[in-house]
Order: sequence, then C-alpha cells, then structure tokens
Amino acid sequence: MAVNVDPARLAIFDSLVSSIAEEMGATLRHTALSPNIKERADFSCAVFDREGQLLAQAAHIPVHLGAMPESVSAVALLAPWQPGDLAILNDPFLGGTHLPDVTMVSPVFAHDAADGDDPIGYVASRAHQADIGGMAPGSMPVARELIQEGIVIPPIRLFRAGELVEEALTLILRNVRTPDERRGDFNAQIAAQRLGERRIADLHADYGDVRYVQTAAALLDYGERLTRAQLAKLPFGTWTFEDSLDDDGHTPEPVPIRLRLSIAEDLVHFDFSDSAPQRAASINAVAPVTRSACYYVIRCLLPPETPMNGGLFRPITFTLPEHSVVAASPPVAVAAGNVETSQRIVDTVWGAFNQLLPERMPAASSGTMNNLTAGGIDPRSGQPWAYYETSGGGLGGAPDGPGLDAAYSHMTNTLNTPAEAIELAYPLRVLENSIRPRSGGRGQQRGGHGLVRRTQFLGPAQVTLITERRTQQAWGVQGGEPGQSGRNTLETTTANGKPTRRRLPGKITVDVEAGDIIRIETPGGGGWGAARRRSSPR
Amino acid sequence: MPSQPAREPTSRVARLLGVDVGGTFTDFVYLNEDGVQIAKRPSTPDDPGRAIVSGLAEFGWTPEEVVHGSTVATNTLLTRTGAPTALITTKGFRDTLAIGRQARPDLYALHPERHPPLIPQRLSFEVDERVSADGEVLTPLDRRELEVVLDQIEATGVDSVAICFLFSFINPEHEQTAADAARARGLSVSASHDILPQHREFERLSTTAANAYLAPVMTQYLDSLAARLEDGVASSPRLRVMQSNGGSLSAASAGRNAVRTVLSGPAGGVAGAFAAAETDGFPQAITFDMGGTSADVALCPGRLLERTDLLVDDMPIRTPAVDLHTVGAGGGSIAWFDPGGALRVGPQSAGALPGPAAYGRSTVPTVTDAHVVLGRLRPEQQLGGTVSLDVERARRAIASVAEPFGSVEAAAQAIIDVVNSNMARALRVISVERGYDPARFTLVAFGGAGPLHACDLADAVGVPQALIPPAPGVLSASGMLIADITRDAEQGLHLSIATDAAGAVPVLDGAFDALAGHARRALAEDGYEADVTVEFAADLRYQGQSHELTVALDAGLHAEVVRSAFHEAHAERFGFSSPDAAVEVVTARTKARHAGFQGDMSVSQAAEQTAPRTIDVRWDRSRPTTVLARDALTSRLAGPAIITQLDTTVTVPPGWRAEPLPTGSLLLTRTGEG
Repeated sequence: MAVNVDPARLAIFDSLVSSIAEEMGATLRHTALSPNIKERADFSCAVFDREGQLLAQAAHIPVHLGAMPESVSAVALLAPWQPGDLAILNDPFLGGTHLPDVTMVSPVFAHDAADGDDPIGYVASRAHQADIGGMAPGSMPVARELIQEGIVIPPIRLFRAGELVEEALTLILRNVRTPDERRGDFNAQIAAQRLGERRIADLHADYGDVRYVQTAAALLDYGERLTRAQLAKLPFGTWTFEDSLDDDGHTPEPVPIRLRLSIAEDLVHFDFSDSAPQRAASINAVAPVTRSACYYVIRCLLPPETPMNGGLFRPITFTLPEHSVVAASPPVAVAAGNVETSQRIVDTVWGAFNQLLPERMPAASSGTMNNLTAGGIDPRSGQPWAYYETSGGGLGGAPDGPGLDAAYSHMTNTLNTPAEAIELAYPLRVLENSIRPRSGGRGQQRGGHGLVRRTQFLGPAQVTLITERRTQQAWGVQGGEPGQSGRNTLETTTANGKPTRRRLPGKITVDVEAGDIIRIETPGGGGWGAARRRSSPR
Repeated sequence: MPSQPAREPTSRVARLLGVDVGGTFTDFVYLNEDGVQIAKRPSTPDDPGRAIVSGLAEFGWTPEEVVHGSTVATNTLLTRTGAPTALITTKGFRDTLAIGRQARPDLYALHPERHPPLIPQRLSFEVDERVSADGEVLTPLDRRELEVVLDQIEATGVDSVAICFLFSFINPEHEQTAADAARARGLSVSASHDILPQHREFERLSTTAANAYLAPVMTQYLDSLAARLEDGVASSPRLRVMQSNGGSLSAASAGRNAVRTVLSGPAGGVAGAFAAAETDGFPQAITFDMGGTSADVALCPGRLLERTDLLVDDMPIRTPAVDLHTVGAGGGSIAWFDPGGALRVGPQSAGALPGPAAYGRSTVPTVTDAHVVLGRLRPEQQLGGTVSLDVERARRAIASVAEPFGSVEAAAQAIIDVVNSNMARALRVISVERGYDPARFTLVAFGGAGPLHACDLADAVGVPQALIPPAPGVLSASGMLIADITRDAEQGLHLSIATDAAGAVPVLDGAFDALAGHARRALAEDGYEADVTVEFAADLRYQGQSHELTVALDAGLHAEVVRSAFHEAHAERFGFSSPDAAVEVVTARTKARHAGFQGDMSVSQAAEQTAPRTIDVRWDRSRPTTVLARDALTSRLAGPAIITQLDTTVTVPPGWRAEPLPTGSLLLTRTGEG
C-alpha cells in the first residue's frame, strides 16, 4: 500500500462511499415510473474514482458487477467534461451490456473546482428499461442483429453543463414504445446521478483532496487483499468444465461454453478459448457480462461482509476469444447474452469450482431467468403497454441443505411483480403462481423446485419468451440427480372454440389473442449427493 | 433557552403505570398523586407477566390503568411458537407465502436460504373464486368447496386461519363470506381485507398470516395478565398495549390485532424520547437508543413518523410502525479485523453474557472496553448498580487489536470511531437520505450506551445539540405511560386525480368518512368515546409509480390541494416534483386519537454521593476532565466532562458543554471551543 491508511479510517470510508451508492439506488427506485425498476428493483448504482475504478456499488444485480466500470471507460471519449455534464449509453459494444440496460454516467467535480479542472470521480446508474424499441415490445426479441433489438445509444451527452440536450432525448423517446414511462424512468436516473454527484463532492470536501485520493486508493488495495487472501486458501492447479445453452433460438444445436480455470498463488485465470463462436442470434454475451459472471462466483466465495469495489477484481484475469459467444463483436444481437448466457457462464464456472471445493459448492441452479416480454395496445385505455417479467426456479441442492424453491438465482435477484400490481397496470390476469411439484433433482439434498406461472392476456398481444434449460437440465453433483427441464405452453382455443395446448420452444415470439394463456414451468435445481433409495424428493 | 412546557397536569386518570418488558429487565414508571416513580426488576421470560405482577405487589402500587410494552409478538414470531395456523386463498395462489417475491435474502450466498413460511404448504388451501382489479366478481366463491376446505382445516386441529383472496382490498365480499364461515366453526380468523386492505398479495398475506399466527397467543397472554392484575391489584386496572407505531391499544383489540404490536417496546422508546424532546422545546428530534447489542434511531420532524415496510425475520409486516432504523452497534459490539485488514466493529456482540471483557467474564474487545481504556467509563461506577469494571482486563482485550494503531488508547479510539461511523450511516439514512437536514434537529440519546456516544454522533452527522432525558434507562416505559390511545384504519383505493381535476374528491372523502367512523367506533368499543380527534392521510404516488409517500391531509380537501400537497412532499423527499403528472391515491388512512397522559413527568433520582473532581481522560489527547454525578450539575459546564448517573454515563467531549434544564433533562451543545 502506497500510503498507510489506518484500519479504522478504511472501514469508515468504505461505509461512506457505500452509503452514497445505496442512497442513489433508493432515489432511483422510489422515483422511477416503471414497475420493472420500482417493483423488481432491476437496477444498480455505483461510485468511481477519478481513474474510473469502482469504489462502491449498491448490491442489487450481480450481472452489473463487472460491467459498470466499462461504461465509465467508454464515456472517456466525451472528455473534456464540464460540471453538470451527464452521459447516457446502452451500446453493448461501447460500455453497455444489452440495450434495455440504459446507463448514465456523470463526472463529479470538486466544490472548489476551477475552470478546466478534471473530475474527482464519476457516478453511474444502470436501469433495465421495460422497452427500448426494436422489433418486439419489451426489446428482448428473438433477433439476429443488434439493430433489431432496439435503439442503440452510443455514449453521448444527455446534459451539457447542466442543460438538457433536448434533441438527444427527443430522438431516443421517438424510438421506444412507451415514451412517457421512459421519460419518467430517465428522470429518476438523472435524480439519482445528481444526488450521487453532490454527495461525492461533499465527501471530497470533507476529506480534502489529498486525503480523499489516498483513502480511495487504500480502499481498492484493501479489496484486492481480501480476494488474494481467499484465493491463497484454494488448491493450485487447472480445472476444466463445459456446459451449454439449449440453442440460439434459430437453430437447434446447443451452444457450448468451455472453461479452463487456473489458480496459482493468489491469482485466478479464466480461459474461455474453446467456447462457441458467436451466432447470428441474441445469445451472445459481451465481454463485460462474462467477466461479471466470473466476478460473481468469486464474490460468493468471499466472506459475507466483503465490500464491493474494483480492488476485489485485480487478481482475476481472463482469456476471452474475440467474436465468441462469451465476447461478442458487432453486429450480432446480445439481449439474451446478458440474461441467459450469463447464467450459463456462471454454471460453467460453478462446475469448475465444484471440482476444487466439492465440500462447499452446491449443484447447478435452474440456470435461466425465464424472460417473458409482452406488449400491445391496452384495450381499456387505447394506450400502448410493455411488460417484462423474469421468473425464478429451483436452486441447486447444497452440502448443508436442499436448494431453495422458486427463487431467482445467480446473476439476477430482482423481485417478481405482484399479481395485483400486474393486473392494476396491464391488460393481464395472473391465474396461477405456484411451486412446481417434484421438479427439483433428487439427492441427499434435493434441488429446489421450479415455479408454475400462468398469465392470461385480456387483449391481443405480442409475447416473446427467452428461456433456457428447456431441453437440457440443471446438473446435480456428488451423485445428485438433475432437476427437471422447464416447459413453455400456450393455452388457447381453436377456430371452433375448443381449448387446446401448444408446446412452445424455449425462445420464440408469438402473437396471442384475448383469453390466451401462457404457462411457464421453470426448471428445478440439481440435487446434491446420491439420494437414498426410495426416498421421496419432497 | 428552550421554552417552558405547560406544567398543568391534564390527566384524567390519577394512577397510571407504564411497564416495558424487555429481554433482561422489566421497567416500571408509575404516576400517582405524589409524582413519578421508576423501578427496574429482572424479567421473567418464561412468563413475562410474572415480573409485572410481582413488581406491583412489591412496590405496593395500585394503578388504575396499565400501559404495557410487550415483546410477546416479536418473540413469538422469532421463535416460531405461535398458534398452528391454516391458510385459505384464491385458487392458484396457495404457495404465495413460500414464493414471496422470489428474491433470495443474501445476494452472494453460496447456498442461499430463507426462513420457512409461518404456514406450511400442508395447511394451505385454495378455493375457486376470483375478483378482478376493478372489484368485479369473475368467479363466484364456491361455497361447497369452502365448506369442504373448512372440514379439512378442522380435521388438522389448528386454532387459527388466515384468509387472503386476490383483490379483497377492493371487493371484500368473498373474504367476508369465508371469514364468517370459519368463525362459525369456532376458528380464530384473520382476513386480509380487515388486517391490511392494500394491494400486493404477498405482503398483505404475510401480514395477515403473522396476525393469524399471533392472535391466539397474544389474546391468551393478555387475558391471563388481566386476570392476574385483577387478583393481585385490588384496583383491577384497565390494560392497554403499546402498538408498533407509538400509540396504545386496548388489550382486547391488541389480541385481535396482534401483528400491530411487533415493535411494541422500541415504539415506547421513540415515543418517550420524542415526548421528552417536545417537553423541553425541541420538537425536531432524532431519537437514539443504544444498548448492548444494537442501536435504534428514528427521526421525528415535529411528530412521530411511521413506516409500513417492516421486515421481521424477512417477513413483510405492513402495518404502521415507528420509522425506526436498527444497526448492530452496541456497548457489547466486538472489534475484529476482516481478511483485508480493515477494523470492523459488530454486528456480533458479547451481549449481556459473557459481556465485555471489563465485566470480567470474557476477553473479547468491545466498545465498552474501549470506553473503559479511554477513561470515559469509570471503574468506580457500578453499572446498573451491579457490575464493577475491570480496567486491566479491558486493556488486555483492546491490546489484542492494537498492533496497527501503535497504542492501546489509539486502538480504543479507533473502535469508537468505527462504531460511531456505523451509527452515523444509520442516522444519514433516516435524515439526509430523506431530505432532512440534521443541523435542524436535536439528538435525544438514551439506553445504557446512548449518552456515551451522543456528542460524537452529533458531530459526525452535523447535529448541533443533544438531549439526555432525566431517566434515560426507563424511557420506553415512560413513553408507554404517556402514549396516546390510537386506532388506525386504512383502505386501498387506487383512485386517480387527473392533472386538471378540480373541486371535491368524493371517493376519497367517502373513504375518509367510512374509515373515521370505523376508527371512532373501535375506540368507543374500548371505552374512549369522548375527546377523540381524527387525523387523515393518504399514500400518494404519481400515476405509474409503484412506491407511495404518506402525506397528511384533511377530510374534504379539493383535488388541487391534494395534488399540491403531494408535489410538495415529493419535492421534499426526492428533490423534484412532476406537476404535469396525474396523482394516484393508493391508500386512504385515518388515525383516531384519544390523548394519553400529558402532565409533568420529571423524575428525581437519588443523588450519588461523589463530589466533582478532575482526572485525565483521553480525548483527541489526554486532557484534564471534570467527573461529577448528574444531580451535582446545577449550572452550565464546559467539556471535557463525564457525568455519571445510576443507569448511564454522559460524555461531554472538548468543544461541547452541558446544561441542566428545569425538567431534569441535560442539554449538550456544541460550542466549538476546546
């Protein structure tokens, strides 16, 4: 450590910057308009130092973990900054992850900054917008190219020296389906940004520049020590694991993800060289998403009170092949890379660590976010609507107990939208929300059970499903059995009024009529340990 | 100078008792013709009422009215010892409690776990019925199925049943029918439209299930306590229970609405601290209660604030509660280094057993030990009159974490800095994060350790002064004694007020009318018919938002006024408003209030027989410091000083001064000199 910052000062500074990130999150959540942000809390807020290193992140969504710093790097091309500037972006190849995740980054200036001074840091917020345009409501279509998924916003200024750049906002809002809701959510994000800027500037003034910089640097060094201490306890060596996606939504072949994990001293290297090339489909993950998935697993191995900052990630290195499904390049689509491939990358890393730490690691969890997006014209009001929901499944059985039923796993931890909130807001009716019996893999500790959710449409709508583990299963470990695959069904009526059921593939866009029901049965988690004979899975 | 409070007793009851049953001690505050008396006795956790009854017999007190702060509800939830309970719900939603909102409590747990639901799946039943979001019956309630389900429930032998149907808060018909049928079978019934008529089925069910689980236990406890009070105290006093939101409730109502008492004890503390601050002329107060394992802070901007998003053991409890923020920081909090080398304090605590090293039964370094090392807790003091402090033992404990700091004293100061920063974070959450400027508030410190940290904490968040009430060790019990008798009623509405709407809002007024009538009748049933005032409020949001702000209103307001009240509240809380957006009334709320005791509450404590003296105490450096007993302080005193009393120690750091107020409170003010 370059400068000695005492252990108490470190804990206090960590608490101060973390509470700023959390306060930004509280502001964003409480002022946003869309249920996706307010009810599901699908957003993250973070604070950075002047070099763009992450000082603190409000713990909401793991998939945003490693990806927020990329946004700060990406906006560097807009420098020099003025106080009051605020950048917006969603370009997955320039600081974003997938298009619905709209990120704002703003520079923070010292209270006593003179003209021409550089920022003392940055604050950023990322929120999943329920619609950002493109070929399907909800902007998670079964696409081939990025351009089909919505409006692409490269890093641009939304505010210049405190003045809104009206033309930029007008252009964006003209390209989305629910412009009023977007405007409200953007306002909430802007409010969070402005608050974060003020708080950081206040903290900087309290500390004084020299001490602020030293303490921030010490905080990052401290994060690095935490990871190194944990890695040093692991065995050295190299392990490989392979898992795969069911398909890419266009062709039925599985999409393999292959990892070579190396641990030496207190460093870890993730080598994904042999993973599948990118596809003309939306299952491609951009590199920041892949890194986030790996960071997430490392973070799970660290002690519970570990703070979240960029130092944690310093001992972690990657080999990510270009133009691959784990490090996509233009022009392919990427929406599902963020929500589905990220889960499979976690499963792959999870599987590798299962070989190192069989006594600690649970089996695979359901491995999908079961994305449902839908939209149309609300027959009650004549207004357009767009709805996005993810559903949990069974978590993996663990050495010390069964997996949780019906829960969000790994890269997501949003909240579901209450049935009553859905029906108040959208032309939808939720007919069932129950635990899917016997879907968890059998084992000494069974996998968690999935979920059954039946949603009825009260008017014509377009529905897109992006789901996984429909043909494959969440694996068990130590002799535990895999969980059941998920299943998507359209319950509809034939032309002559007869009720009928149609099995839907894992990834599809489908038009539904008033009265139709989409039934989603989500996968169970894998079991841990061999089940005793004849024991019931429940 | 603070304004002089009215000293005219306005009580209509001559003999009143406030009693707070805590985990370790049961605190009594008794008021009769002669004034206020206080006492503490060990709690009897196996039978909490025993300490109350035997205490009263011992003191010879004969209250006409007893206000009780009870941990029965909380403990019953935490230890899962409530009544076996069944659930009846809408077809398709039997698993709502287990599914929750699908989130896992700990984002980065390798193996995430959740508490099992209060009602297991085998006791959860569905009936065919459905009401739409506009209250239209889509599927009539299948009564035959309902009777079959009730047969099955009876066969399981449970005492209590929770009923929660979708959209019952808009149209309660089906729930009422089911509730009547269940009551006819002799079951204790909690119906969701009655317990919490608001949207979001999981949160409404969670609250309703908790009530169903608690009601039989609470009713039995209160019935038995009332019977024993009648036997033991000839006066057969009227019994009330403190609710989570700082108002009190008759025992009979508390039994049926048990879930409204889960924060009973802490609510007494906030109510007591706020009342003390108001009496001393500081109605803008932040209450700060620091005990052995945790600290509770609450912001009172001229009134008690309420929240409706309480979590107990990860279970949402959405009935109103004091807006309390709890942090794992107390006198017993343990100092340790994490693997990255940062000093952490808490949340693990040495508690009362084994306690801090200075108590002589452990070797762990705690916040209390740090105070002992720095000379701020004095060895000659007797904590609560029972424990003496072992300075050498405290030094050895702190020395175990002193290496990076260069000295034992520096390590002790570091521990105090870290625990203060943990508490300061909680204070910021309830003040700056909600748009309140701490510089306009007074910190009211109580609990065993609160007065030790009051000035440091005030410095950390920019509060200019702190108040130590006269008897900080029994503040919860005195809060109960003075608590107003209140009944809350609320109703989910989902009513939109368009940007151009003007004039009366009949739907809201109708709801207010009905709710006020309901709340008044409930108070009347409990025997409080006269001198009742009703307050109105509504949970409002911009159309499309899904979080609401509770805004105080009057009945009969015009649409323009309701809208502008919300714009103002939104701007105050979040820094902006959207005057061109429609405002939605999500929930209408009323509170009927009958004033509690409002007279003189000053207490005289027996003076300790120690003369003021000067010793060296370590602050920023070692400084000569005045040490004196609280009763010996008769005029302003500049810090550094240490003021001792039976149940706590007050530190006055350099740059602060202490001043006794006529009520017996102590006012600490930052002077900046020192």
